[in-house]
Amino acid sequence: MILRNSAVGLAMLLAGTAQAAEFKWASTTDPQTMDPHAVNSAPVLGFLNNVYEGLVRRGKDMSVEPALAISWEPIGEGDGWRFKLREDVTFHDGSGFDARDVLFSYQRASGEAADTRSWFAPVSDVVVVDDYTIDIMTTAPNPLFPSSIANWMIMDQDWTEANDAVVPDKEVGNYATINTNGTGAFKVTEREPGLKSVLEPHDGWWGEVEHNITRAEFNPIQNPATAVAALLSGDVDMINPVPIQDVARLQQSGEVDVIQGIEARVIMLGFDHEAEVLKYTDDAGKPNPFRDARVRKAVAQAVNVDAILATILRGNAEAASQLVSPSMSGYSKANAERPAYDVEAAKALLAEAGYADGFSFGLKCPNDRYLNDEAVCQAIVGMLAQIGVSAELDAMPVRNYWPELREDNYDMYLLGWSPGTFDAEHPVRFLVATLNEEKKLGSWNFGGFSNPRVDELLPAIQSELDQAKRQAMLDEVAAIIQDEQVYVPMYVQPLVWGAQSNVEVTQRPDNFFLLRWVTVN
Amino acid sequence: MFAYIVRRMFQSVIVLLVVGLVAFSMFRFVGDPIDNMLGQERTQADIDRLRTELGLDQPFVVQYAKFLQGAVQGNFGVSYRQGRPVSTILVERAPATLELAFVSGFLAITMGIALGVFTAIRRQGIAANVIMTVSLIGVSLPTFLIGILLIYVFSVELDLLPSFGRGETVMIGSWSTGFLTASGLKALILPAITLGLYQMTLIMRLVRSEMLEVLRADYVRFARARGLSDRVINFRHALKNTLVPVITITGLQLGSIIAFAIITETVFQWPGVGLLFINAIQFVDIPVMAAYLMLISVMFVTINLIVDLLYYAIDPRLRVDARAT
Repeated sequence: MILRNSAVGLAMLLAGTAQAAEFKWASTTDPQTMDPHAVNSAPVLGFLNNVYEGLVRRGKDMSVEPALAISWEPIGEGDGWRFKLREDVTFHDGSGFDARDVLFSYQRASGEAADTRSWFAPVSDVVVVDDYTIDIMTTAPNPLFPSSIANWMIMDQDWTEANDAVVPDKEVGNYATINTNGTGAFKVTEREPGLKSVLEPHDGWWGEVEHNITRAEFNPIQNPATAVAALLSGDVDMINPVPIQDVARLQQSGEVDVIQGIEARVIMLGFDHEAEVLKYTDDAGKPNPFRDARVRKAVAQAVNVDAILATILRGNAEAASQLVSPSMSGYSKANAERPAYDVEAAKALLAEAGYADGFSFGLKCPNDRYLNDEAVCQAIVGMLAQIGVSAELDAMPVRNYWPELREDNYDMYLLGWSPGTFDAEHPVRFLVATLNEEKKLGSWNFGGFSNPRVDELLPAIQSELDQAKRQAMLDEVAAIIQDEQVYVPMYVQPLVWGAQSNVEVTQRPDNFFLLRWVTVN
Repeated sequence: MFAYIVRRMFQSVIVLLVVGLVAFSMFRFVGDPIDNMLGQERTQADIDRLRTELGLDQPFVVQYAKFLQGAVQGNFGVSYRQGRPVSTILVERAPATLELAFVSGFLAITMGIALGVFTAIRRQGIAANVIMTVSLIGVSLPTFLIGILLIYVFSVELDLLPSFGRGETVMIGSWSTGFLTASGLKALILPAITLGLYQMTLIMRLVRSEMLEVLRADYVRFARARGLSDRVINFRHALKNTLVPVITITGLQLGSIIAFAIITETVFQWPGVGLLFINAIQFVDIPVMAAYLMLISVMFVTINLIVDLLYYAIDPRLRVDARAT
């Protein structure tokens, strides 16, 4: 009797956990397209990771794992990579997947009109060996190539050609802008741009199903207060992000959980390394003090990052010493220490550099790009005043901000960087390397920093196969960046999601939300 | 008459053209759409190429001329954000805004008149005074605050009404309506109150003061002397005479209900053209911004034109002036 009861109980328990469920979630931005090659932005790639798949994918801990490829190995002495493809894969429309689709997707994603083109800069050729084997040749040995293509999503050649969407079109749009046909765990069954998107499980998915969702609906909700209300009232099951100031309130409510983690994005201060003179305030026209590394170091020592974290970010972030967070590959453990907050030392450095009486300059800052960005900049202005440096803050929406930075309209600026490859090489390539249009280097190095040793090490890092040697070079670069104080890395931005207590979700540092890891209890 | 209409139409067209010109000269201060359209790993070459393709390297007058050229042919361009024709998007989004505006306008008029009459007749009553005091809140609180308060009370605390969106909609031809489903009707309540509250209090106060004036008029006193019932006096004679200015105000407010739905739509994530416009500003989606601004100005200009023509029909003095000149 007891035995039978417990068996019934167990059966009920199992039935309970396996119960199918509908799931609704909301975020501030609607993915602007359903075309996986048209726009390389987090909202688009994050959403489409539920629908399309790449040869490889990232697991819960960001590690690279097989997806449409079951294995891969280097060809020769770093001539390229050979991928063995999965055979039992079907697209949402039922058609099969093979190496032709991979070649087609390479051509599509690396074409002139594709925003994902830069991922394929190291690729020289793609060769179909047989139906389920494909070789991707690289111009130089490229140990990180498999992990750099986790967001390169494979489309069905026949479907794309039949619907006249061979070239991604972000200006005018085409069939693939609204419609999808991936191999992923979910298919899009309804899409109203800007209003809602409905996803349903793909029955023919090759993977093992971990979720229990029968239907998922995504709604963009722009106003953070409305999103919080929608979560509290149960209209949605999960929201991303939760405004920092609402975290404590939600935690107390008891009905919803706040899920916090550390994003890959490092928030830093940047300088103009090139300009001869300052451009803002009464000191405009005077020599640019930020060309002197001692002044940059003084700034680093004057900014009290712990205070910023405790007050403005309410303890939700962690301090950063480098351009990448400790959880990224290639992080330099040898350079893990960040300059201590020390007003006296900062003043001494300024005096040494000949600015004992301080100076004034212009600080540019976005006000809608990073978490509480304007408040952080205001705090920095106050902190710099303590060492006699007066900053004039100009905060603006991000849509005006990037053009200002591109035109060098700043003396100092705030920047956040999330490495797309989750490797320490990424920020070096974009933020530190000398600007080189042709080689696509330094495209975000607004300040024009240039160091011959960094430029020399970067290609070597990119092609080094030996992990220890590669790390040694990355350590050297990290040390140069710290010695020169090229940037002042401050903290790693937090991720804050809110979900109903009965919902289990997995948060990844890239802020991608994957339905296949959702369970509704 | 004909000359007057032609002259007014001509003036309207000039107003539209000027609105467009001002709008286009402002767009570059809104920001740069390029960074939203390209990812993090873009190069300067990509930026330049896209800028040329979109024609953003041209002076704003040229951009405006191109827009006008398309607009007169009914082509408002393609949204930068959605990659779809702006006209398609506007047709998709318009029903949500129009239904919301209709319901809140209806609420504002019926409730406004009813409460206005009530407070005028029971001038000294407690209820009338309470209503008058509460109506001050309606006039003075900003819309977004009212919206958030309503959401907090009715969705979060009482869990009666949805906190965002439009609920289920039904397609009738190309018109999506929320009137035919329970969830669609429920979703309408809070946004309609939020949007209509200001107009309601405005109409209520207007009706009240007009009514008080009329109730003191001689013909009302005579009517009372004749022994007519209060009901007949208040509603047949007094109310009728209060409605003339109310109709004028209501007509003008109709335009602003649609135009100022922006805030209400943002608070409730109501999928109308106002929300579309806010999205467009954030993304610097110039074709959508341009089309929306032109549409709203066409609407205002048309309403004003109709009002002017009505005045012309009503007021004989205008006709005399027109003949004299």
